[in-house]
This record gives sequence, structure tokens and C-alpha cells, in this order.
Amino acid sequence: MLRRRPPDWLTLLMPTIIVIAIIVLIPLIFSFYSSFTPYKLTRPSTLWRWVGTANYERILSDLNFWAAFGRTILFLTIALNLELLFGLGIALMVNKVTWGQRTLRTVLMFPMMFSPILVGFQFKFIFNDNVGLVNNALQSLGITDVALPWLVDSKLALFSIAFAEIWMSTSIFAILILAGLFAMPRDPLEAAKVDGCTPWQSFRHITLPFLMPFIFIAMTIRSLDVARAYDIVQIMTGGGPARRTELVWTLMARTGYVDARMGIANAMGYVSILLSIFFTIYFFRKLSAARAELGL
Amino acid sequence: MSYLKAVALSTVAVLATGASAQDYGSFSGVTVEAKLIGGEQYEGLYGRIADWEAATGAKVDIISKKSHFEIDKEIKSDMAAGTTSWCVGSNHSSFAAQYEGLYMDLKGHVPEDELAGFVGANVSASMVDGALVMLPRAQFDVSVMYYLKSNYEDAEKAAAFKAEYGYDLAPPTTWDQVKDQAIFFSDPPNFYGTQYAGKDEAIVGRFYELVVAEGGLYVDEDFKPVFNSEAGQRALQWFVDLYQAQAVPAGTLSYVWDELGQGFASGTVALNLDWPGWAGFFNDPTSSKVAGNVGLIVQPKGSVAHTGWSGHHGFSVTNKCPSPDAAVSLVRFLTGEESQLAESSGGSLPTRSAVWDANIASAEGFRAEALAVFAEGATHAFPVPPIAEWAESTNLVFPELQAAIVGDKTIKQALDDAADAVDELMREAGYY
Repeated sequence: MLRRRPPDWLTLLMPTIIVIAIIVLIPLIFSFYSSFTPYKLTRPSTLWRWVGTANYERILSDLNFWAAFGRTILFLTIALNLELLFGLGIALMVNKVTWGQRTLRTVLMFPMMFSPILVGFQFKFIFNDNVGLVNNALQSLGITDVALPWLVDSKLALFSIAFAEIWMSTSIFAILILAGLFAMPRDPLEAAKVDGCTPWQSFRHITLPFLMPFIFIAMTIRSLDVARAYDIVQIMTGGGPARRTELVWTLMARTGYVDARMGIANAMGYVSILLSIFFTIYFFRKLSAARAELGL
Repeated sequence: MSYLKAVALSTVAVLATGASAQDYGSFSGVTVEAKLIGGEQYEGLYGRIADWEAATGAKVDIISKKSHFEIDKEIKSDMAAGTTSWCVGSNHSSFAAQYEGLYMDLKGHVPEDELAGFVGANVSASMVDGALVMLPRAQFDVSVMYYLKSNYEDAEKAAAFKAEYGYDLAPPTTWDQVKDQAIFFSDPPNFYGTQYAGKDEAIVGRFYELVVAEGGLYVDEDFKPVFNSEAGQRALQWFVDLYQAQAVPAGTLSYVWDELGQGFASGTVALNLDWPGWAGFFNDPTSSKVAGNVGLIVQPKGSVAHTGWSGHHGFSVTNKCPSPDAAVSLVRFLTGEESQLAESSGGSLPTRSAVWDANIASAEGFRAEALAVFAEGATHAFPVPPIAEWAESTNLVFPELQAAIVGDKTIKQALDDAADAVDELMREAGYY
């Protein structure tokens, strides 16, 4: 009798499948299961009490959660769009530099090299209303004589955390767009010049369409990053005051780790993951469309 | 007086009380695993562990050393995973009730006369459901009022204050006086009358002690939240009034202990309710602009009592510890009189009566003044409500307090919303 052996491809893939199962699949199943329990870290026995969809029902009717969810989308929209604008501008300028461009590219990546926690502390100090750099500078220059509450006022606080996020991550856009500019063929631009196109027309109709796939890749990566923004926000405002800067991840981390209510925190995680899935699908569709337009 | 001379004098005083070196037993070949709180003010004591190892023959393996909040998360994760066979853990009176079933009852393991040497209130605050779950170390915390002396030495200011408020300008003894003086001293954005912790457990602790000072309770005898009472509303009104009068920095709602300490040390705040660990920092010219200008007064009174939210650090022994006798011995050593004397020489407050006496007897100058005020402040101290849900409830309450302070909600609405959320929490936890 012949012994049945698995196909070679499966044998070769098996180590990867096992590693992924241990690292990703088992925790995923476990956390999904626990989202149907009142699991509390300090009371391990609660892991075995099934409460059905109670956690999800509670989240769906919790205004604080939906406010944090909406604020996360707003934060993501602001951060992504401004990072794109600044990143595009920086990349176009760096592309024009003929001397010291390599050094400039390295310098450009400095903000990415810092830990988000350190960036959070840095901007928390910079925006401190009493001893912070920004207020001291504004007051010394005579621009204002009041202490602007950068980390307290609802609009200023969102601006402050967005500023820190953008400062740290704009270079991701800049580097990816710069890579696109390097890969861009020169012929269409020269042909456009000969045909009498203005610089704006060349940019709008030739450069930008060519850069769009690069932009959408950067958008996808950053949307996943920003949708789980935690470190900087937690350090700078902790989601406050009065939940004015509460994002999904600060709420979830506090519920799970400080309050030890891991069951409901996991349920929040599964609801908020929809956000990441939506943005990923949206940007990949855009990416495919942009590539199709280029005939790729 | 030099540091060494102070420690030597204190040691003589403690030894004179009859508490000389004790027998901590012999545990040759035993290794005690410990998870300890880290940070500059806590580390000095750990240097003494080598003495205990030499005396008992045992070894201590510090398997984790992190900040309080990090170690708290780690211990909760251990409880979830069932990996609690390490032996000695740092604990805190405000959070001890959370670790249900983790730590052993130390009563019966510690001689009665040794327990009697601790301050009674500290031992009571170390109990959870009648079990003594931790022994207190020399890290007792209660806040008193720090103030800038220069504000009270200016005759013009004193006259202006009296003309406006009708009573003499002197360091405040009531919270109403704090409010008056804070508003009077404020000159934003250059100078503020006072400040308060504005988020997390810190603001709820401050609110809680003011509720008590106003004659109210956080939870009643059935553990139902009742901080939305009239006393609670008066307490929150104090925070709101100061914020709206711009007598506190605009960013105070984002401050916790470090920002508050640095703010007072920068010389831009007149009155600062703060912990004992800051006394030396505030009066040290290398770290503070207000050194030499710092006065202390017992924490003020509300309409009924003094504030006095307090807590202390300590050490606990896990139920699953494979060598509980050695672990208890280590905890007794770290909380014994000699250890407390050594630890409190760094500026922290002890939890043993004899060490209090010895420190007060040997202190001079600013330290003597500070210790006397903290000793009196300690007589008004009270712990947080003895519920496992304290920390969790503070996360529900603090955003509502903030909402009232910044004007997003009325005081009553904010407190009612917070009380409803805590009520649901307590109901879910099975209290009623």
C-alpha cells in the first residue's frame, strides 16, 4: 500500500503556516472568543463565562466609543492629507536639489528614527502651556499675552497631536514619492515642454498620475498606522481632557490594560478593525485604478 | 547637619527603642523571586537586600523592576496567565484590593509585637477583606500645602488682600482661603495662584479628598456611588471656580505629578498641594528656583474636615510562592525599623512610629519643619475606598470632572453621569 504524503508545496509551507498559526492565528481566535466573555485580567475565571454578543451590544450603544471612533477617522483624514501635501512638496523640492541630495534624504528620515513615545514627550513639553517652548516664543515675540492651552482646548489639542504625528511621519510620504520621482521617465516631461505645457500642466497631467500608485501605497501604510495611533496621543493628552482627544486605541488600551476588562476591549478591537479594513480596501482599489490608468 | 550625622543620630534613637537587628531566619539555598517597583526614590532600599542575603543565606532574584503603572499591568497579566509563582511583589494601598486572591494574609506570619510597631492607620489601610495583604515600607504619602513664603512677606500685598477679602493674608488653613488667595495671587500667564492634577486617578483622588473634607462620601456603606451629593458638587465647584478664574495654568488638566512639581519649582505657582517626596526637591537650589522660599502648612480644611487622601507602598507575598517563609522574612526585613530608617533618610515618610520619632528628633532646619508638618498632616490621612474597582472607577469619573471644569457639562450633570457609570460598574461587579 502506498503511503500518502502531503504535496511538496505544503511540506515547504508548513513551517511558515505553523509560525503564523502560533503568532497570529491562535491569539486572534483567543481574543475573538474572549470578546464574547466578560473576561477580566484580574479574575481569570471570567474567561469561561459566555455572554454572547453583550460586549458588542454595549459598544454599539456607547456614545463615548462612537465619539472616539469618529474622532479617529477625523484624525486620520487630517493627518493623512496633510502628510501627503507636505510629503509631496518636500519630495518635489528634494528632487530639484543637485548637490548634497543624499545627505538631505538621510536628514529627511531623522524624525522616523525616534520612538513615538519620545516624540510624544518632546511635543508634550513643547506645547506645555506654562513652561513650553511654543507659548514662551509666542509671548516673547509679543504675538500673544495669554497662555494658549495647546493640550486642553478641543481644537488646539487635536491640532497638537496631529502636528506631532505629521512631524514624525511626513517623511514616509516624502521618501516614497521621491522614489516615484526617481523612477519616472523623463521623455513625457520633455515632450510636454516642447508642446508648450506650463509647469503646472506638466505636474497635473504627467507627474501626478505617475506618482499616484506611490501615493496610494504610502496612504495604505499610513492609514493602518494612524488608525492605531496610541503612543503619541497617550503621552501628550492621554485622550483628554474630557475625552476631547480620545481615539479608539487610547480608549481600548485603558479599558484592557488599566481597567483589566480585556473582554470588552477585544470587542472594541474587532469593531475598530473594520476601519482599517475599509481604508485598506479603499486605497488598494485606488491603487489598482491608478496603475490601470498608467497602463500597468 | 550632614546626612551621615542625621542617619547616625536616627539610628541611635531607633536602637534605643529596643528594636535592634532581628533574626530573619536561615534559608540557605533558597531563591526568592521578586517583582519590585522601580524609580529613583525606591531603589535605595534595594541596596539593603544584600544584607538580608548575607544574614539568611538566601538569594533574591529581582525578575522585574518597573514603574508603578507598568508593574501593575504586568501583575494583572500574570494573574490572567496564572504565572504567579514568584514570591514578593511591590504593592500599594490604593491598588491592593484589585489583586484578588493573589497575595497571602500575612497575619500569623508576622509577630504581633512587630506589627504593633507600624502606624495603626497604615496597617488598617494594608488590609483587604480582613486579610493583611502587604507590609508597609517607608513610602507613606499624604499631601500638605507648599507655598511661596515671599507672598506673605509683602506688606502691600497683605493690605490689598485684606481690603478685598476682609481677612488677614496668611498661609491658608481652609480650602475657601486657598481659592481666595489663588485668585488674588494669579497673574496669568506669568504667575498662577495654584494648580491641581488634571487627569487620571490623580484628579479623582484630589476630588475624593475634597468630597470627604466637605462631609461627603465616594461610595456609601452598600458601595453605591454617592459622590454626586451636595458635598460632591461643592468639591467640584472649587475646581471649576479656579479654572474659570484662570487661577490655575490653562494646561492643568493635562498635568499629573511631574508637571505639578516642576511647575512649583519653576516659581510660577503660589500654592501647591503636594506629596512629601517633593520637599527636598523644592528646597534644593540645583533643582528649584524657589529654594529657600518654600513654606509648608498642614493641608487645609473643607467645611467639615481636612483633606488627606493618602496611600503607601509596601510588599506582599504571593499565595503560590514556593518558599513563603523566606519571602515573609524578606518582606519583614524590607519594612523593618532599620530599613525604614535608611529609606526615610532620603526624604520619604516612614510607616513605623519609632522611625517617625527618630526622624523628627534628628532633623534640623527645613527638613525638621517639613517633617513636623507632614507628621500633623498624617493625623488627618485617610485611604481610598476599599474597593477593587477604585482604579477602574477613576477612569470613568475623571473625564466627567474634566468636562465640568472646561465647561462642557454642568457640575451636576457631570457628577450624575459619572455616578451612573460607576453605579453600572459596581452593579456588574456584583456589589448589589
